[in-house]
Order: sequence, then C-alpha cells, then structure tokens
Amino acid sequence: MKEKLKEVAAQAQTDIAACSSINDLLNAKARYLGKKSLVSNLYGQLRELPEADRPAFGQLLNELKADVEKMLKQRELELKQAGREQQDLSGFQDLSLPGIYPARGALHPLTLVRRQIEDVFIGLGFEIAEGPDIDDEFHNFDALNTPEDHPSRNLADTFYLENGYLLRTQTSTVQVRTMEKYAPPIYIISPGRCYRNDKPDPSHSPVFHQVEALVVDKGISMADLKDTLQNFAQIMFGQEVRSRIRPHFFPFTEPSAEIDISCVNCQGQGCRVCKNSGWLELGGAGMVDPNVFKILGIDPEIYSGYALGVGVERIAMLKYNIPDMRILFENDVRMLRQFSGVLQ
Amino acid sequence: MRISLSWLGKYIDLPADTDKLIQTLTFSGIEVEAVEKLPALPESVVTAKVISASRIPETDHLMVCQVEYGGSQATQVVCGAPNCHAGMISVLALPGTELPQLTIKSARLKGVESHGMLCSERELGVSDNHAGIIELDPDTPVGVSVNGIYELPDAVLELEITPNRSDLLGYLGIARDLSASLGLPLKMPEIKPVEGEPCADTKLELILEDSQKCPRYTARLLSGVTLKDSPQWLKTALVKSRLRPINNLVDVTNYVMLETGHPLHAFDYDKLLPLQAEDGHPAIVVRKARSGEEFLALDGKSYQLDENDLVIADGQRASALAGVIGGKDTAISDSTRKIVLEAASFEPMTIRSTSYKHKISTDSAYRFERQLSPSVTAQASDRAVELLLETAGGKVCHAIYDAYPEPERPRCLALRPRRFTELIGYPLESEQIITYLEALGCKFLQYGTWQEKPVYDPQQIHCHHLEEQKAGKTEFTEIDCDHALYFQIPHYRVDLTREADLIEELARLDGYDKIPRKKAVQRIMDRHAHRVRREIEDHFVQAGFYEMLNYSFSDPEQLTAINFPPNEAESKLLRLVNPQSSNQSAMRVSLLPQLLANLNYNLNHGERDLKVMEMGKLYWKDGNSYREPLHLTALLTGKIGPGHWQDKPADIGFFHVKGIAESLLDKLGLQIASSCEDQQPWLTAADNLAFYCADTLCACLGRLKSEIAEKAGIDIHNLKQDIWVLDVEVENLIGLTRDSQPRFVPLPRYPAVTRDISFVIDLTVPYAKIAAAIEAVDPRLISSVSVFDEYRGKQVPTGQRSLSLRLMLQDKEKTLTDERVEQVVASVLKMLESTWQIQMR
Ligand SMILES: [Zn+2]
Repeated sequence: MKEKLKEVAAQAQTDIAACSSINDLLNAKARYLGKKSLVSNLYGQLRELPEADRPAFGQLLNELKADVEKMLKQRELELKQAGREQQDLSGFQDLSLPGIYPARGALHPLTLVRRQIEDVFIGLGFEIAEGPDIDDEFHNFDALNTPEDHPSRNLADTFYLENGYLLRTQTSTVQVRTMEKYAPPIYIISPGRCYRNDKPDPSHSPVFHQVEALVVDKGISMADLKDTLQNFAQIMFGQEVRSRIRPHFFPFTEPSAEIDISCVNCQGQGCRVCKNSGWLELGGAGMVDPNVFKILGIDPEIYSGYALGVGVERIAMLKYNIPDMRILFENDVRMLRQFSGVLQ
Repeated sequence: MRISLSWLGKYIDLPADTDKLIQTLTFSGIEVEAVEKLPALPESVVTAKVISASRIPETDHLMVCQVEYGGSQATQVVCGAPNCHAGMISVLALPGTELPQLTIKSARLKGVESHGMLCSERELGVSDNHAGIIELDPDTPVGVSVNGIYELPDAVLELEITPNRSDLLGYLGIARDLSASLGLPLKMPEIKPVEGEPCADTKLELILEDSQKCPRYTARLLSGVTLKDSPQWLKTALVKSRLRPINNLVDVTNYVMLETGHPLHAFDYDKLLPLQAEDGHPAIVVRKARSGEEFLALDGKSYQLDENDLVIADGQRASALAGVIGGKDTAISDSTRKIVLEAASFEPMTIRSTSYKHKISTDSAYRFERQLSPSVTAQASDRAVELLLETAGGKVCHAIYDAYPEPERPRCLALRPRRFTELIGYPLESEQIITYLEALGCKFLQYGTWQEKPVYDPQQIHCHHLEEQKAGKTEFTEIDCDHALYFQIPHYRVDLTREADLIEELARLDGYDKIPRKKAVQRIMDRHAHRVRREIEDHFVQAGFYEMLNYSFSDPEQLTAINFPPNEAESKLLRLVNPQSSNQSAMRVSLLPQLLANLNYNLNHGERDLKVMEMGKLYWKDGNSYREPLHLTALLTGKIGPGHWQDKPADIGFFHVKGIAESLLDKLGLQIASSCEDQQPWLTAADNLAFYCADTLCACLGRLKSEIAEKAGIDIHNLKQDIWVLDVEVENLIGLTRDSQPRFVPLPRYPAVTRDISFVIDLTVPYAKIAAAIEAVDPRLISSVSVFDEYRGKQVPTGQRSLSLRLMLQDKEKTLTDERVEQVVASVLKMLESTWQIQMR
C-alpha cells in the first residue's frame, strides 16, 4: 500500500512539472484530487485495511494530498510568472496615438469677455439690466444731459432709422430706462451692442459692444467707484494690475473721468502697446450728473451714484493680444478655434 | 418642558384664545413644540365610592364592585385594576360616556353584569398613568364631576427653552416673560421666609469644601413631619407635567422645582451620619467625590465616582450626586420624621459632565446644566418650607444654614437707544425701552455716560450731561445727548450681561415683525433668460459649433437670394437713414445671409467640415414700433465630428441635425411634437421639420436648397456636401421654460420587461404615429416604445419597410406575469394589423 502511495507521488511530480498552461494544471488537479481521482480512490481503499492500520495509513494519505496541493500551487506560480515575461503581443496598443475627440467648438471671444465681465459684477452684487438696441433721442441723448447741438447727435456720428428712432450710441440708454422704472438702490450693469457711424479700422467698428455699470444709492462717492474699478481690473487682468482715473468730460457725469489700467503687456514699464506711457485707456466713468437725476425724478440731495463704461472689444483685444478690431468680426474659424480652451 | 395652562393661569390672566397665546410665546422666542388639549370630561364621569369589591370566581384579577355615586345612586361594575378595593374613592364613567379613547357600554363579563367603568388617569386623558384606577382623597365628595379635581378643560404646552434662558425653567419665569410681552400684570405668590422655631436638639454641621462647583448651599431642618399622600391639587399639578406623585415631601420639592425652576432635595435627617461617630450632629459636606467612591443612587443603581464629580456627603459617605440624583441611604421613607431641605446652586459644567458620564438624566440635572442664579436658591427654599408645613405639618427650625462665600452683586448695564436703531433698524422711544425692560424685572436707575462693562456700584455711573449742565452749559446737541439708560438686572436673568443682550430683549418683546425691510439692491435682472441663453450657447459649443458675431445690418437684396418672402420682408424691414453702404442699409431680419457668407469665407480658407452658429437679435418693424427678438441660426456641412485614424466620422445627415435640436429641447425639459407642415422657403421640401411645444414654435431644421447656396457664392457642385440649417426660437424657449422645474417621480419598485416586435408596414406611415398608437393600447403598462432597426431591401416589398420596435412594460403595483405581458403584446399586434395591415416578420 505504501508503495502505491510513493508511486502516485512520483507520478504527480512528473505530471505537474509537465503542465505548460493553467488549463493543463486544472486537468492535473482533477486527475489527482478530484472526485474520482487517484487520491480519492485511495481514501476509498482505507475501509479494506485492517482497523489497526487505518490511522497510520490515513495520516500518510493526508500528507500525500497536501504534497500534491503544494506542487500544484508551485507550478501555478511558475506558469503565471512565465506568462508575464512572455507577453502576448496580439493585443498590443500604441498608446501614443491620438484619442478620439468629442466635437469641439468655441464661443466668440467677445462673448467670452462679456460673460467674464458679467460674472465679475454679478459676484460684486450687481444685477444685469438690458434694453433695446433701437432707441429714441430722449433715452440716448436728452435724458443723459446731452445738449441739443452736441456733435454726437449728427448723422455723421449716429445711425438713424427711417421711422425716427436711432441706434443707441452707448448702453447708457439702459441706465436711463432702469432709473425710469425702478427706485434706488440700483446696482446694475448693462451689456450690449452699440452703434456709431465709424468706418471699420484697427480700433473702430460701426457695431461694437459695451458694458456699463451704474450705482445709485445713499452715500455713494467716487471712493466707491474706485473700489469697484480696482476689483474689476484685478479680476479681469490679474492681481498685479493697477487702475486710475483721470479728469475728463462727459455730459452725463460730473465730475467725469477716464479709466486707465496699468499696461498688461509691460506691467507699466512702457512699451509699444501703451505707447510707452505704462497705462492703457479702458473707458469712461464719473458721478451721475444731478441733472440726469432730476430729469428722471430722483432726488440728488438724497441719492448719489456713479457710472462707468468699458468696451468689450477693447478688453478682448488687450486680454488676448488681438491687434485689429476687424479680426473680431471676420468670424474666421481658425481664429475662433484658438479660443476653444478659454476657461470662463 | 410641559406647561399646563390652568396652572400657569394662577400667575397671569391668560388670553382665552390658546392659539393667540401660542403665537405670543413663539414670537417672543419661546418655541411651542406641541400642544396637548385636555378637553372637559362629560357630566357622566363622576367621583364614586367603592362599597364592596369581591373577586369573580375563576378569574385571576377581575373584581365585581358595588359603587355609589351620589345620593342613593349605585351601580355594579366589573374592575380589573390591581388597586381596586372596598372603601376607596375613585372615578366612575357611566354607560354611554365617550372618553378620549373609548366609549363606555353596559356589558357582561364572565357572566357578571357591569354598568360603567372605574377609570385610570390615562383613560381620562389627564396623564399617562395606567398602573391602576384613580384613588382620590378619602374626603372627596361622591357623585361630583371630576373636571374640578383635574382642572379641566386644560391645555398642556410642550415648550423648547433655549439654553441661555435658565429663568424660563419654571412656571413663574414663563409667566413673567408673558407678562412683559402681553403687557399684563403678574400675580406672583408672596414668598416670605418662615421664621421657624428654636430647636436645640436638631442641628446640622454644614461644610462647603468646594465653593467653585457649589457657589451656594442652604439647608433648613423640619421636624415632626408626617409622610402621606399629597393633596389632590398637588397631585393634579404634577401629573400634568408627567411627574408621578410619590409622597407629600417629595412632591412638594418637585412642585417647587416646576414652579420656580430651581430643583430642591430632601434628606432624611436621622439617616445622615455625623463626622465623628459618637456624639456628633448629622453632617453635610459638599465636596469632590473620592476617586473610586461608591454611590448608591435613588434609581437603585450603584455608581463609581471620580474626582470630577461633586457629592453632597454626610459625615461618612456620599448622600447625593450634587444636582443630579439623590442617594438611597438617606432618602425619604415611611419612617422619616425629620428632613433636611437642600437648596443649592451648582456650576453647570460639573452637572453636565457628571450627568453625561454616568448617563443619568433627571429634571434636576436638566435645570442645573444651565446657569441658575444663587439668589433664586433662597426663594425656592422659602417656598418649599411654606408648602411642606402646609402639607406635612411639623415645624421648621429657626436656624437657616447658608454657605454663600461670595454673594452675587446686582449688575447694572448701560443701553444706548441709538444702538438699538443701528442694530435693529428702527428707533424705539426711551420710555418704551424702560417699560419693556421693567416688565422683565429690570430696574431703570438713571441716565449716564455709556460704559461697555457691567457696573456693580451705581456710584460708578456718571452723567457728563448733568455735570456740564451744573458747570453752566445750557445748549446741547444731539451728540451730547448720546448717553445711556442704566438698568439694574434682576438676579434670575443670568443671561443679560451686555448691551447687546438688552437690545435683543427689546427687539424680541417689540416683535421681529416690526423690523422694516431695508432694500440693499433692486432686483432687476431676468435671471431665467440669462441662464437659458447661456445654456443654449453652451449646448451648441459642446456639439462642436463655433460662434459667429456679425453686424446687426443686412442687405435687403440678400433676403431675396434666400427666398425670404417679399411681403414679410417689406413689413419687417427697418431701413437706415444714413447707412455706410447699400449692403448694410437695413436692420437684419434673418441671420441666414450673414452666416452663409461666414460659411463661404471659411470654405474658401480651406475648412471643409463646418458647424457655425450665431445667437443674436433680429430687428423687426412692428407697426409704428419695433421688436428685437433673440434668435439663433446654425449651419452645418461636412463630417459630424473631427477626423480620427480609427473612428471615421459620418457625413452630417438629417438625423444628426434633428438630434442636436431634440437634445437641446430635451435639456430644457420641453415636451415637443414635430411637424412637416411648415415649409421654410430656403429648405428642400423633403427634409424640412419644425418642432412645437403646445402651439409654440421652438425650432425648425432642414437641408438648404442648393440654388440658395449658389447665390451665396458657395461652389456647391465642387463641395459635394449638403448644407443643413437649424433655427432656434430663443425667445420662445425662454418663455416656455420660465418657472418650470422637474418633479421627482418615485422609482418603479417592480422590474420592467422588454419585448421586441418586427413587422413590415407601408413606408408612408410615420414611426411617431405607430409609437403613439402602441402606447395608447395600454398606457398603464406600456412605459416606453423605441425603434432599434429600420430595413428596406430585398425581402421587403417596394413601398414598404420593416420596423423593429422594443416595448418596455412595467406595472407600478406588482411584478408583471409572462401571461400578462403576452396579452399586451398580442393586443398591440392586433391593433397594428387592424389599423395598418402590417405583416409580421
Ligand atoms: Zn506697455
């Protein structure tokens, strides 16, 4: 009987060593340890032995079973190791090939900048107010304290329509409409299209975009204007940007100012973009003229306010280094594609 | 905390309308969490005397009782209560009585007739006690209504007391606060110290070791007390607060706790051990527990204490866990003749940590966890002495034991009326301020220059105003008069320590509804329109479109080139007086001509696959006025996606364009229907579709006629690509989606079953019509229909196609059986056969 055990052990050793795949190994396992296997047959023969011999033989049989299991495990490890070293190249992928892009488009840079400006002001607590592109002389000129004979009312400056309306020359028309409709406190911006009878050139376009801000509340001063302006400049152009205001004239503000930011190209050192001044002009601003308030029925003794306006094209050109305003209206997909990665 | 209105009504005249009272409490900062109404009981619920009670044979607990209930009236009832015995006075509900939970009927139990029921307090709805039937004082008259005994009708309010307001932990505090907010006078019980009698043989040794954790400890000794049941008024008061009456001594301490908010404790004097075994007086030592000290509490459990616990010990061992629970060894019992009445104040953190550590929550700990004023201690003690003498007899010893090393000093706070205005938003007159704060128990002292810190000595209050007046100044400006009102704070308001606390009290009493709304910003923005516009733009960008921005001008000639209807052009066109050129001589009424120019420009610059769109205003004449609707037009040509070495993109076809429109409308949550009836004059008739939501046009799309592309200068023959147009009515989409929100539909609880069917049908029958007809066969079970194949070819006759549809079936109430599914599919097929003469495949 013991002979038989030794025989089985030796045979198992040879067979298992000969297995060349995991599949072979599974077959071998079935042959030696499965239900009708050599080892389980031996267990069956236990009963035929004299009772006294059974425990000793049982012990040997258990050892055999453990040995075979160990051999199987060992060979399995060897096979797996070998498999890793001899890779099957049929499924090889060149991972450096380009991936499949989902469709990719882009917003127009003017839309990108408009959204950025809107979001800056919404974050500062402002509301967005909108109004028509087509408006009348009252909202575009009269209510904004523009004298009857002011040159901006000319056909050479302003587009007029056959029905007597005009195309607004600034989005201040929306400020007027808001003050007509709502009582202070007013904190708005009005983004939108404006029109001036200028021939297209590197810095002009008959159709352009503006964002104006208007604040009307108790106790508003130029100090508030400066704070809003500095916040706006930093969020749009970066933490290092400085802003300043210079005296100027607009009919609807008193005092009036022009807005400058430190040159984003040379950080204020002086360069071609800023004509060596270190400053870039961004737009206009000022305290709302008391006459404007009176025309709109707001008591300038109780309320005060500031307005500021910037050009969207101007900001887009400065921000994205676009040298000619006309490029923005060519709608060349090769230009637009450059803006498909802009974070908003 | 439970507050019975009939009890509360002893201290203040309450409004008859309970809802109004609740409103007042809520808006003065005392939240009413629940209201339990206790209605009056019917006249047929009366006091009754049990004349005899004998066990019914062969039952283990049922008794048959002869009961008298006034005059000569008597009846027989069967009662199962363990405490039922002859001679007791209880409460009888006669047959026909409707009690809160049951209606009493005459009945026969185990062959014995019963005409009525002896009731427990729970059955009457006055408490949750159901241990036995009610046993009233033996001298209670028989045959009278119990409404008087239980003070019914009544309502019990469950109040949430905020942690800062320890003064509201008793009836008196609630009454005081209500009197301030209702402007009604208080009817406080007059609490006077009882002088007592000299008692040479009854003495106590009191040692206060830790005045940090116990700022004040007082004790009074009563001797010759008689332990018995409490009088009914006292029991009634306790049961409504969900406290079980125990005996007169314990009940009085509980009653005073509920009334004043200050917990008390009574020890059996004779069980307190002296410090020295022989010949000493009983002692009370307030000290830290010893590490590992054992303490057997009233709840029968033994606790291992440590040095962070504070105990009230006698000469040898811990007799109480201070402020939390009394000890078993020194508790009141039947043999008690002399008691020590403890009234003390403890440091809240100690109580909180002890109660948390040993998991003991008691009414006492609940109150001591909040800062209680040591001044209330004496008051609570006096009140309890008075009630103990009244209910237990005996006498109180003259001596008052009072360990109070650092007595509280009355605190004064300065309030500037101007600060009220600045903080709350509207002015309050000084006279009104004084009225409110005095109603809360504060005392107005004088005007003076403001000081931030509390003032304990009124001599420290100065008035520069008066001083300057004395010095000869006669005229004062408003700024000069910005001085403060000084108030002395009552001892029970430990929470009032700063000016801001007083301002809060004033705002609360005057009512938060008086605070005006100060507008910070006018809301002007159309947020919805803003969001929808960005959503639409982003949808197109994500689908691979590039945004174009063109001038608002147009060339009327180009409208003719795109087949724009001439009448419509004439009625809509707004012409410029001073255009820069003839091709910019009017405002645009369509985005298409400029987009075609953009397309041509980009094709000429080498782009083959183009998806472009513009969202912008159109400008229409509208009678004498004008309109500026927002519109979107998109053009597509070439491949649907970017080229790739592995994945070759398809040519853009009708269903690509349709999918872009459908997915947009889907994203906006719109239920849409399509129609082929509206023909855009620039689109070919065969591929021309419009989307409607109800009757509103949402979008239209189709293939551009090639002659129009040619007129726009596009070399369509060389291009060999279709150009597709998609128009989106942005204004309509903004209008349709306003105020719409998705509503969650509960998820199906039973599995869905799918069945595929394939059949041959005439080409001209639209899929949408087939799908709708199928859904209509059994709208409850057919949850969706979708198409997964269309085939035309060899095996299908000309003019017909084979469609393969997938039906999803689901029952909301149960799992569908195969049988039921087959039934539904069979009726679907039958419907298809009879409607369109289909052939099954
Ligand atoms: Zn520069």
